[in-house]
Amino acid sequence: MSGHHNTNSIQHLYEGDQSKLYSGVMQHHGDVNSAESKSQVARIWKIFWILLVITVTEVIMGMFFSHSMPKGVVNFFFLALTILKAGYIVAVFMHLGDELKNFMVTVLIPLVLFVWFIIAFLADGFFWLRMNNESPARSQIEHVAAAKK
Amino acid sequence: MSQSTVVTTAPEPSVWNGGRSPYNVSYGKMMMWFFLLSDALTFGALLISYGTTRFFSTVWPDANEVFKSFPFLGEHNVPLLFVSLMTFILIMSSVTMVLAVHAGHYGDKKNVAKWLLWTIIGGICFLACQAWEWTHLHGECGGLWGSFTDPNTPVSSFAHFFNPKSAGHILATDPEVAMRATHNFFNYFFTITGFHGGHVTSGVIFNILILVNTVNGVYERRGHYEMVEKIGLYWHFVDLVWVFVFTCFYLL
Repeated sequence: MSGHHNTNSIQHLYEGDQSKLYSGVMQHHGDVNSAESKSQVARIWKIFWILLVITVTEVIMGMFFSHSMPKGVVNFFFLALTILKAGYIVAVFMHLGDELKNFMVTVLIPLVLFVWFIIAFLADGFFWLRMNNESPARSQIEHVAAAKK
Repeated sequence: MSQSTVVTTAPEPSVWNGGRSPYNVSYGKMMMWFFLLSDALTFGALLISYGTTRFFSTVWPDANEVFKSFPFLGEHNVPLLFVSLMTFILIMSSVTMVLAVHAGHYGDKKNVAKWLLWTIIGGICFLACQAWEWTHLHGECGGLWGSFTDPNTPVSSFAHFFNPKSAGHILATDPEVAMRATHNFFNYFFTITGFHGGHVTSGVIFNILILVNTVNGVYERRGHYEMVEKIGLYWHFVDLVWVFVFTCFYLL
């Protein structure tokens, strides 16, 4: 029983709104106008400006530079900036950066599998294109169609 | 043995032996994160499927050519401006949401309600913008899903979606390929933005419910505003998905 704290004082919490047990982790009991609170708000607005600048950069690149630079470079920038934005939103806005490290890892590891997911399927699509363009059956069909014309 | 606090003061038992949350988060919050993970995989599957289709197409509509209109500006050629506005609106609503969560951490009911209201307004503005975009594209496609299937469609009805430099050759010699790509493009566009729009709608509805609860003092009586945090997680997820959809459809 030493591992449990099922004392009478908190047992009722398990039936009802269990969030009471852990809401105190991020809760603050100070004043919303305190310096600590204001610095947190300032941090939120700072991240907003960062996100805005990144988005504007992306749009400008998309409008003016997407056809002049090599596609690979442009796409790399877009992806890098997008992941940066996603990182800021998840870490700061969703407060994942304030959680225990093990929880952060639990959430982020399945997303790492995404990288494999993306590479595998894009490679698949690329392979299909090459296969369709180079297949001997296709050039036979084209010969027949050309001969008919 | 009575304890005044919930956390045990004895030597810390193993985190995984039950009786406590191993991550120090409540069940509700953890399940919201897990739901967001599963939803992320769903959206990921849709977006990756879009990528695969695009990769095996010889040509593909150019976003700069498809998305260059702006409400009330007629046929002005302003590529990507409208979608940038939509992205800004959604990011703004994310900021107001996190400010609501912050107010909730300090038990500040008035500000929670205020920032939740701004978030709802932002969400409704985004949906209005998306509805305009759909209506406008519906006019250009002659429909939503399943357009551009008739082989007798004149090339002029879809040629303007392509970048003449990269697709001009195919449009001249084999326009059917371009028409198929247009068909695929719009199918994916309406599906993915529609699915996302459904999430935004449900998010707005949930936000309204929680705003009503906040104003009625439900969370004040409960002693904490964790419900606002949980719906905040959902709202930020919706914003995150939009960031990726915006990148895939409009930038890459």
